[in-house]
Amino acid sequence: MSARPTWLRSGRVLFGLAIVIAIALIALAAPLLAPHEPNEQNLISIFLPPAWANGGDAAFPLGTDSLGRCVLSRLIYGARVAMMVAIVASLGAMLIGAVLAHIAGYFGGWIDWLVGRTVDVWMSFPPVILSLILMVGLGIGLRNVILAIVLVDWTRFCRVLRSEVLVVRRRDYVAAARLVGFSHWRTITREILPSTMPLTITLLSLEMGIAVIVEAILSFVGMSVGANTPAWGQMIADARQYIYDSPWNLVFPILMIFITVLGFNVLGDGLRRALDVRLTETRRA
Amino acid sequence: MTSILSLIARRIFVSVAILVIVSALLFCILRRLPVDPAAMSLPPNATLAEIEAKRHEMGLDLPLFRQYLIWLGQVAYGDLGISIHFRRGVAGLITSTLPATIELAVLAMLIAGALGIAGGLFMFHVRGTAREAVADAGSIALLSLPEFLWGLFFILLFGVALELLPFTGRLSSGFERPVITGFLLLDTLLMRRLDMFWDALKHMILPSLALGLAFSPTIMRVLRSSLIDVYQEDYIHQARLRGLSERRILVHHALKNAILPTLSLMGVQFGFLFGGTLLIEVIYSYPGLGNLMVDAVRNADLPIIQAVGLAYCVVVLAINTVVDALYVVLNPKLRVT
Repeated sequence: MSARPTWLRSGRVLFGLAIVIAIALIALAAPLLAPHEPNEQNLISIFLPPAWANGGDAAFPLGTDSLGRCVLSRLIYGARVAMMVAIVASLGAMLIGAVLAHIAGYFGGWIDWLVGRTVDVWMSFPPVILSLILMVGLGIGLRNVILAIVLVDWTRFCRVLRSEVLVVRRRDYVAAARLVGFSHWRTITREILPSTMPLTITLLSLEMGIAVIVEAILSFVGMSVGANTPAWGQMIADARQYIYDSPWNLVFPILMIFITVLGFNVLGDGLRRALDVRLTETRRA
Repeated sequence: MTSILSLIARRIFVSVAILVIVSALLFCILRRLPVDPAAMSLPPNATLAEIEAKRHEMGLDLPLFRQYLIWLGQVAYGDLGISIHFRRGVAGLITSTLPATIELAVLAMLIAGALGIAGGLFMFHVRGTAREAVADAGSIALLSLPEFLWGLFFILLFGVALELLPFTGRLSSGFERPVITGFLLLDTLLMRRLDMFWDALKHMILPSLALGLAFSPTIMRVLRSSLIDVYQEDYIHQARLRGLSERRILVHHALKNAILPTLSLMGVQFGFLFGGTLLIEVIYSYPGLGNLMVDAVRNADLPIIQAVGLAYCVVVLAINTVVDALYVVLNPKLRVT
């Protein structure tokens, strides 16, 4: 027996965690790491290429954008919005989705019907469109982006977890718990939740990647945080306009989004493999 | 046959119910918006009394529920209102942009399906070998690149660096855009203008490839895992005992069964993909529903936002109905009800 739990011994989990923790640290330490104020404009030095390219300036390691703002500093500060949205929005979506899934799957009947139909209505919308419309109604700002993502993505948890709960509640030990006289609450939290937890954690990790993408999409079309808060999607939208002046400005935020989402996806995939009992059983067989 | 018809009828009934609920939700969300459509549709020097009169004329002083019923009644007659910004009928704006988006989405789905099935077969083929880890890592990396990042990357690579393909609009300037069906690829073929067809296709390669690539890894992974499941079944062992070749087992026995979960996933994916066209259209200045929507959002053009939101919903529900029907056609187990 190793002292480390199984899930920490998986290479994927460690790799994913390393990326995610690194980005989270960058976000936390942004004021210490960034060489410039992210909104500081240097109108004499616009569209500087990265420091290593011809005409680059060591003061701006990754160059400057159309207003002469430091790209590296904006990337570093952009991590704050991305991580904030990833963590808070996913937890919110998980909370709503998981609670409804457990109630619906456990009690069945009209509650299940109602939750199922609500999910159907939600799923009839492409998620991007729904979040855009919600942002129109809510208005821009970090809190509203998070709210919009929670309101759109709870269905991802609800749909998958509900069918898992349906399977688990038919197990003998759940019936046994009821016979022994456990309350519904205790049966759900003590008997069902431990079985659905691995799937929930996996979905949570994947949802964090999705949240990063959705925030980038919303800020790309200017419907996320305001213009004074640097965000990766905004940087992309800005660079798309000046693509011939400075293609580099497009490359860096794309890379940041890719690396962040990759981190969450690898982590999620690793957790799925490490925590899924069925998978490990078939592997052994 | 009758079971399919009754399924379609049931799906259409459910879809209409969903549409009514969705439209009510949309109506309520958008009424929260702090803009006054009446003031926006008048010249800036209008007096307060004129604005009040306009509000009355537009029915904005009625209770929300009454407003919704009036709107719903108009929609039922195909009247989606007048755009505040463009001063044109919204229905006309949608019929002139929807075909472009559908064309893009269908082409992208074909690409996603082809890549997904090929990739899934490849991943299944290399299972248990050293190449599995590589294929697996590749599919996760693919999964982490959403369509708009592919789109931007392709613009940089094929548009700006290599200058191989165009990346704005649907046609090069100099071509008169034909209006027969609105589906450009179809129209140019109907007109027997192959040069124009080729030009239109060239404009669609990058956006549809970006979308297709982004949605293929999910299909790959589901096909791979359902193939692995199917290969545990007795009929595969039996086929092997009968001396059938591995290729025949795969194509005639395994794939037929493994494709079903893949197909139903593709139905769900098509809904997401259809939403993904929004950003791809913005990035490629492709004149479809997505650009119309984003412009409307920027101009707070309520009638358009409302109608385009509903249009997306109609398309997704229609796709789900078709996929459900296909599922019944392809899965013999579901035919007897």
